[in-house]
Amino acid sequence: MDNCTYEKLDISGLDAWFGDKQALKGVSLRIKPKTVTAVIGPSGCGKSTFIRCINRMHELTPGNRVSGVVLLDGVDIYKSVDSMDVRRKVGMVFQKPNPFPNMSVSDNVVAGLKLIGAASKKELEAVAEENLKAVGLWKEVENDLKKSGASLSGGQQQRLCIARALAMRPEIILMDEPTSALDPASTAKIEDLVKTLKAETTVIIITHNVQQAARISDMTAFFYLGELIEYGETRTIFESPKSPLTERYITGRFG
Amino acid sequence: MQGKKSSSHYNRQDAVFKYLLISASLLVVGLFAALFLMLIRGSLPSILGNGLGFLTGTTWDPINGIYGALPAILTTIVTSLLAVGIAIPVALGIAIFFTEYAPVKAKFPLTVFIDLLAAIPSVIFGIWGLWIIAPLIKTYVQQPLVTSIGFIPIFGGPAYGISLSLASLILAIMVIPIIASLAIELLSRTPITLKEGMISLGATKWESVMRVGLPFARMGVIAAVMLGLGRALGETMAITMVIGNSYMWPFANPSIFAPATSITSKIASEFYEATSAIYAGSLIELALTLLIITLATNVAFRYIINKTNKEAKR
Ligand SMILES: Nc1ncnc2c1ncn2[C@@H]1O[C@H](COP(=O)(O)OP(=O)(O)O)[C@@H](O)[C@H]1O
Ligand SMILES: [Mg+2]
Repeated sequence: MDNCTYEKLDISGLDAWFGDKQALKGVSLRIKPKTVTAVIGPSGCGKSTFIRCINRMHELTPGNRVSGVVLLDGVDIYKSVDSMDVRRKVGMVFQKPNPFPNMSVSDNVVAGLKLIGAASKKELEAVAEENLKAVGLWKEVENDLKKSGASLSGGQQQRLCIARALAMRPEIILMDEPTSALDPASTAKIEDLVKTLKAETTVIIITHNVQQAARISDMTAFFYLGELIEYGETRTIFESPKSPLTERYITGRFG
Repeated sequence: MQGKKSSSHYNRQDAVFKYLLISASLLVVGLFAALFLMLIRGSLPSILGNGLGFLTGTTWDPINGIYGALPAILTTIVTSLLAVGIAIPVALGIAIFFTEYAPVKAKFPLTVFIDLLAAIPSVIFGIWGLWIIAPLIKTYVQQPLVTSIGFIPIFGGPAYGISLSLASLILAIMVIPIIASLAIELLSRTPITLKEGMISLGATKWESVMRVGLPFARMGVIAAVMLGLGRALGETMAITMVIGNSYMWPFANPSIFAPATSITSKIASEFYEATSAIYAGSLIELALTLLIITLATNVAFRYIINKTNKEAKR
C-alpha cells in the first residue's frame, strides 16, 4: 500500500450544498486502490453527503449542488462521465438493507446487470451464484433463490445488497453505516466480508462506531462540521491523532 | 372501583357501536339484495318471454317484439375495455411524469387540473365530444384511416364521427383522472430507499420507476384500473350523446368507426318509450346484465389482486 503511487480516487476542493446549506467544505483526499477507508465523525458532519458525491447521488435532489474535482482513475466523474456510468463503477450499500421486494434473491443480485441487458439467462445465473458465494450467502439461500429478496433476515438482506453491488464489478464500493441496523452476529459477518472485499475492489465505509473503523480499515478520515479534519493511516489516527478534535472523538469524549 | 366503573362504561359504549356498525353493514347488504331482487322481478316478463335468446339475439325490434341484447352487451364491454386500454398508459404516464419529472412548482397546478377533470359532469364531456371532437376525429382520424386501412373490417368506413371509438375516447378521458390520481398517490409512496437502490446501480429514473416503482405500486394500480373500468361500464350520459345509438355494431358493421349502442345508452334512451311489459322488462334485464358484468369484473379483479398478493408473499 505504501509503495503504490497510483490513486484510485483523487478528490480536491469538494464542496456540497443542500439548497443554501453547505454540507461539505473544501474536502480533499486521495484513496489508494484495494484499500478500506473508514469515514468517521459525529452525526450530521457530512459523511453521507461526502460519499454520495462520489457516486453522484447527491445531485439527485433538485436544489442540491456539488463543486470541486473528483477523479476516478484520473478521470473527472463530474465532467467526463455520465452520472449513470459513474454509478455503475461506484457501487453503494445503504444504511438500511434495501433489497428489491418485487425481485427474487437471484434477480436482486443481477438487477444492475439486467439494466445493461448484455448477459444471457445462464450468465446471469452464474453471476448471481458467484456473488452470493462472495458474500457468504450462497449456502444459506441456495434453495430459496426464487424467493423474494425481502424474505431474508436483515443481515442476509444486507449481504444480498453487497452482492448486488459487487455484481457490477465496481471500482469502488461505498457503504453508508451498513451494519447500524444489524445485530452483532450479522455485523461481524459483514466486517469480515469488508476485509475480504479489498482483494477485488476499493471500499469506503462510513461507520459511527470507531472500534469498527479500527478493526476493518487501512485509512481513516475524520469529518467535523462538513470539513475533513484529519486523514491518514488508521493506526496513526488511533494511536497519535494530530488534531485534538480527532482525539476527543475517537476517545468518546465528544459533546 | 373507579377503573372498573369506567371500563364497564366503555364496554357498553363498544357494544352500542358494534351493533350500530353491524346494522349499517346489514343495511348495505340488504339494500344490495333488494336492488338485485327488484331487477330480477322487473326482468321477469323478459326472462320468461325472451328466454336465453335475449342474451344471444342481435336484433332489437320492439314493434315486432324481438329483444336481442348481444350488440349492447358487446358494445358496453368493448368500449369500456378500449377506454381503459387508452387510459392506462396515459394515466400512468401522467403519474410517472408527476412523481419523477415535474418541477415542484408544477405539481400543485397539475393536481388541481386532474381533480377538476375528475369533477366535470359527464354531460359536459358529452356536449364537447359531440360538438367539437366528433367532427375533428371524423376528418382527421377516421377518414384517413378508412382510406388507408379501411379494408380491415374493424377500421371500415364510412366515418361517422359519433361512433364506438369516439365513445371509448370520451370514456378514456373520464377514466384517466381516476387512474392517474390514484397512481400518483401510490407512486409517490415508493420507498426512497428502493428508488435509490435502483439508481445506485446505474438506472435512469425511468428504469427505476419501471423496475421498482410500478411493481411496488402494482396492487394499487390494479385496483385503480378496476375503479376506472367500473366507471366506464356504468357511464351513461356522455356515451348516450356520442355513441350514435345504432344497433349496427358489431354484426351489421364491425367497424369501430360505426355508431353503436351500449347497455346504458339503450336504457336511457328507451325507458320512457317502453310501454309493454316485455319491452320494459327487456330494458330492466339489460340493467341486470350490466350489474352482473360489473360484479363479475369486481370478482375477477379481486382474484387477480389476491393472486398477486400471494405471489408477492412467496
Ligand atoms: N435533505 C437535506 N436537506 C438539507 N440539509 C440536509 C439534508 N440532508 C442532510 N442535510 C444536512 O447536511 C449535513 C450533513 O448531513 P449528512 O451528510 O447526512 O451527515 P452524516 O451522514 O455525517 O450524519 C447535516 O448538517 C444535515 O443537517
Ligand atoms: Mg449519514
